[in-house]
Amino acid sequence: MKKSNALLGLAGAIILISLIAWGYQVNNGLIVTNMRNPFSWGLYIATFAFFVGVAAGGLIVSSSVYLFNIEVLKPFTRIASLSAFASILGAGAMILPDMGRVERVWKVFLHPNFQSPLVWDVVVITAYLIITFLSVYVQLLPDWKKEGHGFLNGWTRKRSQEDINSFSKKWSKRVALVGLPVAILIHTVTALIFATQASRGWWNTAALPPDFVSVAVASGTALVLVISLLAVGKEQFEEYRGAFRTMALIVAGSLVIHFFFLSVDLIVHGWWGNSEAEEIHALIFGRYGFLYGLEILLPAFTMIFFFTEKGRSSFKALMIGSVLLFIGVFAHRMMLMFPAFNVIPLSLSLSGAGIESWAYPVALGQLREGLPVFVSSWDYSPTLVEYAVALLPFGQVLFVVTGAMKMYNFLPQKRIESPPTNEK
Amino acid sequence: MRLGMVIDLDRCIGCRSCAVACKSHNAQPPGTWWNRVFTPGSSFHQAAVGKDGGLQMEALPVSCQMCDNAPCQKVCPTGATYTDERGVVLIDYERCIGCRYCMAACPYGVRQFNWEDAKEVKARVGYEAGYEYGYPVDFRDKDGRLVFTPNRPAGVVEKCTFCAQYLAEGELPACIRGCPGKVRTFGDLDDPNSEVSKLIRKRQTVRLKEELGTSPKVYYIAPAKPIRLEVD
Ligand code: SF4
Ligand code: SF4
Repeated sequence: MKKSNALLGLAGAIILISLIAWGYQVNNGLIVTNMRNPFSWGLYIATFAFFVGVAAGGLIVSSSVYLFNIEVLKPFTRIASLSAFASILGAGAMILPDMGRVERVWKVFLHPNFQSPLVWDVVVITAYLIITFLSVYVQLLPDWKKEGHGFLNGWTRKRSQEDINSFSKKWSKRVALVGLPVAILIHTVTALIFATQASRGWWNTAALPPDFVSVAVASGTALVLVISLLAVGKEQFEEYRGAFRTMALIVAGSLVIHFFFLSVDLIVHGWWGNSEAEEIHALIFGRYGFLYGLEILLPAFTMIFFFTEKGRSSFKALMIGSVLLFIGVFAHRMMLMFPAFNVIPLSLSLSGAGIESWAYPVALGQLREGLPVFVSSWDYSPTLVEYAVALLPFGQVLFVVTGAMKMYNFLPQKRIESPPTNEK
Repeated sequence: MRLGMVIDLDRCIGCRSCAVACKSHNAQPPGTWWNRVFTPGSSFHQAAVGKDGGLQMEALPVSCQMCDNAPCQKVCPTGATYTDERGVVLIDYERCIGCRYCMAACPYGVRQFNWEDAKEVKARVGYEAGYEYGYPVDFRDKDGRLVFTPNRPAGVVEKCTFCAQYLAEGELPACIRGCPGKVRTFGDLDDPNSEVSKLIRKRQTVRLKEELGTSPKVYYIAPAKPIRLEVD
């Protein structure tokens, strides 16, 4: 348990750093970020989308176990639900520092505009937070009953252990049933925030929501895989080999679907050859070529690697594949922003002058020596403060997962050791 | 009533008086410009563009297009952005949470964020201390929503309001009055006898990015100036 104390300490430190940076930002305004009028969303929204993705994946794993009876994964449904809960909590928190007036966020609940995809997202993410919490809760109830701890479980005192076991079983399944569509919804709706905007060609595609879901399944499963690997350790790897292989296959399979959407989308964006699409292509293959390369190559490597026997049959291989995938998916989330904001929507063509696409300059929003007043593109890269603030969900996930696993049984072996329960 | 504007590109000389009048009347913080005037095609203002010796130079003023189907309003989670009974798209500075979704949604790049506190930044960039420019007091719409305040709070979005504070007094927006070329005409698009309606009927007008379906209420009279040299 020494290790988990160290991890909790680390998580606490990360959260503290991030809160201090956030405090600094609240005091000085979002000017401390490198976002400006022409490039108005950056690292925070990308990180938010990343965590929504891994969160969705977690419950998709644990729900499909219950719904489709995937026996090999059963030992890891608790970890999967916990990973989903922790990640959605992180995603929800990440959105807050992006607000210019965070103290007014409650106004969304007071005067919600139901036309706004952002409001839909608030609704589904709140629902998901409750569902993932319930999912963890009902799965832990039997242990809590047996060991006499836990919370919100006063009502179980008068019931028998068997009662609670079957209650847990029944409700785990029910929560999974409701949870699966909501898991798919959170990432669909998050994608719709972007995909609905005809102003931004890079986002405005119906392929975005299904692609988000496929990336979510890949990255969410990878997170469950990593937590599970760390939880059972190298020693018991062999025992759960089957489960790990299955998870690796889910990751690789959903990446195939992701690459399918990605290529179809590139073709549709590029085939017609209009000037806006050409601009987007110039950005992703030129100026942001490195990041785009990471986004493509790392997940591609993981996909291929996890399809090979070597890639999915050792602790180390699975870890490496997953970590590379996380980096790739994070790059993917960042790449949501660059080609979207660096193509100015108000572009004109002047046929007489032989000009195809001229971007109408936008006021930067900051008056400072050395900076132009109006720009037609903005070289955004996050500031140190932004990086520090964006650590928040990472710290939170680490804290919640480690803390919960320290306090309660999420590890599979304990469940196997416990006496089999009577089925009703 | 649907208030709209017609801008005659034939008459615009690109002097940017409207941008300046707009900026000062509406007390815009440093770095914020509700109204911009640029020479399309050129990397800086008032430079001709062309090829093969055929040069042309137009000026194109752009501020909020007051879309009838306004994406900024549709995405706004709190309803801070709304369209009033005269068709003017406004922002309630007390309700905006600063999510900036509207900035991603607006196709015209007219929405601007207060990245820092307006009062502090004016002092920092060296605006003369004690010199206050622009409409001096708060203005609330008839429902009490704060749609103008001389020193904008940090963290909210702003843009052209058609000078809501002046409209309420029956006066014209500052850009209309400040334009020396009488390029801009303002009025009710629903009234067939208004000057704007007549102009739209009589002259050939275009709206920006019409293909996006935003239905702007700002119309441009296409320039009929002879292009100096027709290129084959
Ligand atoms: S121009 Fe932009 S800010 Fe103005 S109404 Fe249209 S979408 Fe909204
Ligand atoms: S930044 Fe303000 S006005 Fe714009 S969408 Fe958000 S709450 Fe609405």
